[in-house]
Amino acid sequence: MRDLTFTVAAREALAEEMARDPAVFVMGEGIGARGGNWATTTGLYDQYGPWRLRDTPIAERGFTGLCTGAALVGGRPVVDFMFLDFLLDAMGELINQTAKFQYMSGGRLKMPIVLRGTIGVGHASATHHSGNYYPMLSHVPGLRVVVPTTPGDAKGLLKTAIRCDDPVFFLEHKSLLGLKGPVLDGDYTIPFGQARIAREGSQASVVAIGWMVHQTLAACEELAKEGLSIEVIDPRTLSPLDIGTILASVHKTGRLLVVDEDYSPYGAGAEIAAQVVAQGFDDLDAPVMRLNGVFAPVPYSPPLEAAMVPTVGSIARAIRDLLAE
Amino acid sequence: MAVEIVMPRLGWTMESGSVAEWIKKDGDLVRPGEILFTVETDKVAQEVEAMDGGILRLAPGTAAVPGTEVPVGTVLAYLLAEGEAAPFAQASAAPARLSADQPPRSVAFDVPVADAAANGYRAPAASPRARRVASELGVDWTTLAGSGATGRIVERDVRAAAAQALAARARVTPLARRAAALAGVDVEELAAKLPGRRITRSDVQSAGGQDHAAPLAPVADGAPEGAGRRRPMGRARRVIAARMAESAHSVAAVTLTTEADATELAVLRERIKRGLAGSGRPVPSYTDLLARLVALALLEHPWMNASLDGEAIVEHDAVHIGIAVDTEHGLLVPVVHDAHRKSVQAIATESAGLIERARSGKAASGDLGGSTFTITNLGMYEIDAFTPIINLPECAILGIGRIVARQVVTDEAAGTVAIRKMLTLSLSFDHRVVDGGPAARFLQQVKRWVEQPYAWLTA
Repeated sequence: MRDLTFTVAAREALAEEMARDPAVFVMGEGIGARGGNWATTTGLYDQYGPWRLRDTPIAERGFTGLCTGAALVGGRPVVDFMFLDFLLDAMGELINQTAKFQYMSGGRLKMPIVLRGTIGVGHASATHHSGNYYPMLSHVPGLRVVVPTTPGDAKGLLKTAIRCDDPVFFLEHKSLLGLKGPVLDGDYTIPFGQARIAREGSQASVVAIGWMVHQTLAACEELAKEGLSIEVIDPRTLSPLDIGTILASVHKTGRLLVVDEDYSPYGAGAEIAAQVVAQGFDDLDAPVMRLNGVFAPVPYSPPLEAAMVPTVGSIARAIRDLLAE
Repeated sequence: MAVEIVMPRLGWTMESGSVAEWIKKDGDLVRPGEILFTVETDKVAQEVEAMDGGILRLAPGTAAVPGTEVPVGTVLAYLLAEGEAAPFAQASAAPARLSADQPPRSVAFDVPVADAAANGYRAPAASPRARRVASELGVDWTTLAGSGATGRIVERDVRAAAAQALAARARVTPLARRAAALAGVDVEELAAKLPGRRITRSDVQSAGGQDHAAPLAPVADGAPEGAGRRRPMGRARRVIAARMAESAHSVAAVTLTTEADATELAVLRERIKRGLAGSGRPVPSYTDLLARLVALALLEHPWMNASLDGEAIVEHDAVHIGIAVDTEHGLLVPVVHDAHRKSVQAIATESAGLIERARSGKAASGDLGGSTFTITNLGMYEIDAFTPIINLPECAILGIGRIVARQVVTDEAAGTVAIRKMLTLSLSFDHRVVDGGPAARFLQQVKRWVEQPYAWLTA
């Protein structure tokens, strides 16, 4: 067990998988000799060279299509979008081809491709580099969507993603990249569709997504001083979603808040709320509540940007409101 | 759930249309697949069929009025379940819960939404969890005051009420409760007089005035009290029970009754009787006469001489009339085979033997079963109309009531009455196999032939 940053833990997973399986390769802008804008491939180019760490021009649709083809014939590509926002240029290829090939071939073809990139508001990245997109991606049948929140989970989930025969989105929140945490030594994987109870509690359940898990835990730490006992659930994968763990928690507490930095309309919180209302209606002692980022393009100005997203203070307030319902 | 009927989009470019004509009218029962109305657009006139069933209720206003141009999607009507109120008939005066002076919420809704209260939104008075816990704990939540943000009753309110009720409840031993029930003592009242202690049987006895020395024997729930005899069902009884239950559970039975003037039939029988005097041959009973009559009527109404075989209806060529006979072992139904080919006299001779063997418990295997229609006569017990149970797999049974002299209007215009011998006929039929109209026509034929026996005797 070592304390590693999120980025190092994820890179360790990639390095171990590249060593384990020669079909694994990476494609993206600046992931070759430069080692990746987010240091996702640092050191790997020296080890594996340009064939397995393939720098590309700025042509997302092109290299997403290339990797989709490579996955069809036995490769295990990892597409590194740097900022996930650039995925939007490859959306047609991705939704109409990558996500549908297995279906269109009646299951005869596999699509073992990982698509990774950073998400999230913060760091004055401005509106073209601050998107989250996981509700949009989770809406597409055929895609799996992973949103890890700890270095340990990042390593285990990236390994599962690379070994998976379906297209997997591996989304890394920019605020998490430098976060340090315990990482197990050696080879281990974490299955998809298994949420993590980040904190146990009895009075209300909070499902938090991505970076918001950490903000929510900090809020709960504050509330604990007042004697309030809040359970925090980190779904870890949004598609598939472990609704069972959420329902079990709501059965215990009777109250649910979904904290999500992304926009609320038609979002992850809406889906989770609808499923809980449908399957856990008789457990609810209060309306299901959501706390989301402001429904607007993300501003560049740091003070405005900070006002966009839930904070420790606003999360604590939302939990108090939920308890008063 | 009311099903909305809307102006359909009949082509990619269709924006609006108008009802040309309602094929179904307001209040009509509509089955899926039936044509509801026709639509006129600038390009087409098309029939619109119902995808669901229900009672058609046109929407108020002008949308449903033929010729009124309305946008695609406009609600024209509803299909309702029986007894269901149309959505527009329900009062929608919901209390405006979301008032302006409410403190702003920390959790904002970003999507612009219309004022929820204006849309008929009505806040629940109790949370689902509170309702669930209330039902588990037996708490009537409707009387509680809610501690939720908007006065909503939440789980803690229900639990508090349950705890309070438990504390307030008198502590009474189970034995004391039973003793109190038997002695007619109100234990709650007694407990109020003896606060702070557990009420025991001796408290009840000393308070109850009359002591019950009798042991407190448990009484089986729901069983009738008092002495009686219990005997197992015999084989014959079990067979009857099973057949009756099968018929009662599976058949869509309808009973039609009518009264026939049997004066002529009675005259006929008297004459036959006189003619047979001293011959030693059995006199045909009314049942025999009706067996022959019904057999001939069934030839003209073959759908009544039918049985249900899986998904098929089998109309039988031959008529085998079963005659219900009351025996000391229970009901038996000996059968006169090919009754349509036999004379009244032949039927009389045959049925006399069948009934005698049935009553003496010596029925031959060929005597019972295979009937296609059954007659049951309760006239000798002064029964008029009844609802006989169909003898499966047949589709109908004719009940014969008593023949009794009644005063009957013979000429309405002249105002004359006469005393006539009247007979009540009860026809039960299986509506799965035959509809009311055809069954009624058959019964009408039987009635006419009862009234004019020479018409069929000579057939």
